[in-house]
Amino acid sequence: MAEARSSAVPPQPDRSGPRPGRRRSRSHLGVHAVLIPASLVMVAPFVWQLITSLKTLSSATRVPPSLLPEGRWENYRQVFQLLPFGDQFLNTTLMAAGRTAGQVLLCPLAAYAFARLRFPGREVLFGLFLSVLMVPPQLFIIPQYQIMASLGWLNTLQALIVPGMFSAFGVFLLRQFFLGLPPELEEAARLDGAGPLRIYWFIMLPLARPGVIALSVLALLWSWNDLFWPLVVNTDPEQMTLSAGLSALQGQFQTDYPVLMAGSLLASLPVIAAFALLQRQFIQGIAHTGVKG
Amino acid sequence: MTLTSRPGGRPRRRPRRDRVTEALWGYAFIAPAGLGLAVFYLWPVVRTGYFSFTEWGAFGGHTWSGLDNYHRLLSDPEVGRSLVNTLAYTALGLIAIPLAVVFAALLNRDGLRGAGIYRTLFFLPVVTMPVAVAMIWRWLYNGDYGLINHVLAQVGIDGPNWIADPDTALFALVVVGIWSSLGYNLVIFLAGMQAIPKEYYDAAAIDGAGPVRQFFRITLPLLSPTAFFVSIISVIGSLQLFDLVYVLAGSGQTARANPAFPRMETVVQLFHDRAFATNDRGYGAAIVMMLLVLIIALTALQFRLQKRWVHYG
Amino acid sequence: MGKSARFCTALLGVVLSLSVSACGGGGGSGSDDGEITLSYAVWDKNQKAVMEKLGREFSASHPGVTVKVQLTPWADYWSKLKTVATGGSAPDVFWMNGPNFQLYASNGVIRPLDKEIAADKVNLSVYPQALVDLYTYENKVYGLPKDMDTIGVWYNKKLFDAAGVKPPADDWTWADFRTAAGKLTDPAKGIYGAAAQLTSFQEYQYNTIAQAGGYVISPDGRKSGYDDPRTVEGLRFWTDLIEKNQSPDLKTMTDTAPLQLFEAGKIAMYWGGSWNAGEFSANEYTKDKVEVAPLPKGEKRATIIHGVANVVSAKTAHPKEAWQFVEFLGSKKAALALGKSGPLPAHDGTQQAWLDTYPQFRLQTFLDSLDYAVPFPVSKNTAAWNEAELTHLTKAWTGEQPVGEASAALASAMNDLLAKE
Repeated sequence: MAEARSSAVPPQPDRSGPRPGRRRSRSHLGVHAVLIPASLVMVAPFVWQLITSLKTLSSATRVPPSLLPEGRWENYRQVFQLLPFGDQFLNTTLMAAGRTAGQVLLCPLAAYAFARLRFPGREVLFGLFLSVLMVPPQLFIIPQYQIMASLGWLNTLQALIVPGMFSAFGVFLLRQFFLGLPPELEEAARLDGAGPLRIYWFIMLPLARPGVIALSVLALLWSWNDLFWPLVVNTDPEQMTLSAGLSALQGQFQTDYPVLMAGSLLASLPVIAAFALLQRQFIQGIAHTGVKG
Repeated sequence: MTLTSRPGGRPRRRPRRDRVTEALWGYAFIAPAGLGLAVFYLWPVVRTGYFSFTEWGAFGGHTWSGLDNYHRLLSDPEVGRSLVNTLAYTALGLIAIPLAVVFAALLNRDGLRGAGIYRTLFFLPVVTMPVAVAMIWRWLYNGDYGLINHVLAQVGIDGPNWIADPDTALFALVVVGIWSSLGYNLVIFLAGMQAIPKEYYDAAAIDGAGPVRQFFRITLPLLSPTAFFVSIISVIGSLQLFDLVYVLAGSGQTARANPAFPRMETVVQLFHDRAFATNDRGYGAAIVMMLLVLIIALTALQFRLQKRWVHYG
Repeated sequence: MGKSARFCTALLGVVLSLSVSACGGGGGSGSDDGEITLSYAVWDKNQKAVMEKLGREFSASHPGVTVKVQLTPWADYWSKLKTVATGGSAPDVFWMNGPNFQLYASNGVIRPLDKEIAADKVNLSVYPQALVDLYTYENKVYGLPKDMDTIGVWYNKKLFDAAGVKPPADDWTWADFRTAAGKLTDPAKGIYGAAAQLTSFQEYQYNTIAQAGGYVISPDGRKSGYDDPRTVEGLRFWTDLIEKNQSPDLKTMTDTAPLQLFEAGKIAMYWGGSWNAGEFSANEYTKDKVEVAPLPKGEKRATIIHGVANVVSAKTAHPKEAWQFVEFLGSKKAALALGKSGPLPAHDGTQQAWLDTYPQFRLQTFLDSLDYAVPFPVSKNTAAWNEAELTHLTKAWTGEQPVGEASAALASAMNDLLAKE
């Protein structure tokens, strides 16, 4: 039974039309009556953010508020003027890409070994990997910071990237994936005299592609939005990420909400755009984290 | 989460030389990730443990101070209140789970028009940067100019200063937490629901069970392992709450001048303040050690309780 | 095993090249080929441009040295500075303020500058004595004053006209101020008579405490003044305003900072610093609507004087160049440039440049108030009791605790902290 449950076959969140033998689509009026107001609640804050970002401070504080934007693009100019936005955008992109590349390269390798190769101490080592997963990340921060300081890496790009290239979560997620793959293919290759590296690279890794995509989407999303580590390790505005830069913007503008709304919109836009393009991958990536072993 | 599940074994014994080769390959495969994890994660755990027994100068340098930091933890009212806040936030945040199940069930209806659009809208906050999310809500919550109080005023309610009022601040945090994680949980539940074999529903339909009964008799029990997983993840996540408070309440002096801050300060926020703002690294280390114990305890508790409500098919 | 060894090498190579290529992207403050880069940390966005300009001027006269200005917003400035100083990578030159100075000096984070001052025959008497004293620790001078600031009442002329209130006279009193605040308050329009930034003691209670004849810390720095009844009077000045709804309460000011409320026309009288001149002249709303008056007189006249100094990191790799830059920043030439585009410079004889920059405001008010200015209260670990001030006084501002009780509790907490110094 454990075997059956550990199968990590990707679920299919997208439905393709009504299935045979099922009722045809109905109007679902009651369902819409709940979902429409609920999705309004989900969207309204973003709309209000956009509207406010195009107002002056005095019109944003008018009572009652006007629901129309005013085309004050000056707020966006201020954000660009005061945040090294281009630098921070580049830092964030490189950080997310670097971490993701590291995880995609290293995690499946270890995951495959834990899933399929036998070696003494495997369970103990895997337990050690898992223990990293259980520990709150804040526990690592002080010593990680010291490592960065002693390497002279504070305020550098590699400080943002390197610790995040290693992920216990990624190893765990992909191990589940490899466990769910049928062993027959491997056996056949082994009988043909293929070594583990060849089997891994040419047979197993391609089969685990959905899992690797899920991992990369998650790694991208989480790195892009990470605040704590960038906040601590890079204090030089040119070396900051967008999330840290955005919180610095609040430090500068206190409660000048129109400027803050413009900044928060700009900072979250890239990942929202990525989501719009790769919606399916994002959602399946998240769905995979729920596929229990 | 069968963390102990054993990989598919190959029962046949193979020659010793093969096994040695395989073992060496195994070590080689895990070495890169393993070394990185050891240097950047496992070793830091040991260091933090050690630091929690040290006292730091205002600008670095530390000396052994035994259990001093832990004694201080026990008598520090700020630790007490941040623990209470964190636990209350965690408990209230669990409301998100039934909410996500209900919405997932609605979205899972066969042939529902616009299901993709709904899902996208629910998911939007998940991909939005938490710092940005917190900023948006800070503005929505504004007592005088916020949209929420404006809407309330339409029905004659004089809304409070949500994040500056000690009575509402924690509630306000919980709402943002649920709003921003609903989509994440919803997608996981949707995946879980779609993994339930359709035959079960067909059989129930033949027995004359309507959608509501099907939901309670089939969906809920079969979804309980997913719900268990989500609850583990959300409890751990809630216990580590930081970004939201850091932006909503502000940091440093700004936070301390917020009358609601005593009701919003979380354990991680306190850790950040002590370890990096006042540079009290040793005390900060003790605070996260306490958090570690808390996470282990609550996770263990959930694993014990799961026998009562989780059905493994 | 050849294969696996080769594989491992290859993998290591990939990992290394990844981190090496990452290194390429990072910008260290390394000094190669005799090129020196001095990092200079500041917190005011309004002054970033002029600081960069001064940096370029310095480079022009010191070939091979470039200055990189790092702006960290006020809210994060001190925690970040402490973090990098602990990591041994503090900026070469940075802004210092009164409350933090003694902590940095006593821990050897910043360099004493006496030898350089003597060698270069720098005349310290061109700066106000209160500021030179502020940056002297155990008889050693650690920083050259850059600017100075006093507090005044910025008021909204439009709101005064609308309420039919006459502009404040130069010799107005607390009673006049209260009357004006009452008349200017208009709850229907959401307009408050007066406010100040609560987290900035210099703009808030320190002034009224001194005006009431009280004190924050005894001159020897050993005892808190918060249990003195006159100090409590100074605090009551604000709690009274809040109780009468003539000042926004703490909750409202948490949601929207008083500065923004003032810039949105919701506050008639804003207690702010001379440094606000730059902000208010640039802001579209305030640029033609506000004017400044001296602080009203209580038992006596008082305004808190403070100033920022430039200091040198003790661990800088370029102590000579860092000092030369600080010396340049303290020069009359730099002060004139500063006055033209930023705050009130500390150097004697350069204030006219500042006055001329903002002729629309009566900035002479700030210079006149120097006659009765009171030094900013500090001790060795000011930050520790500043936190206590916030914790205890917050309860008085919200009305959770009577002001006398909160002040008494603060006095005892502060005395404990002072005893530990």
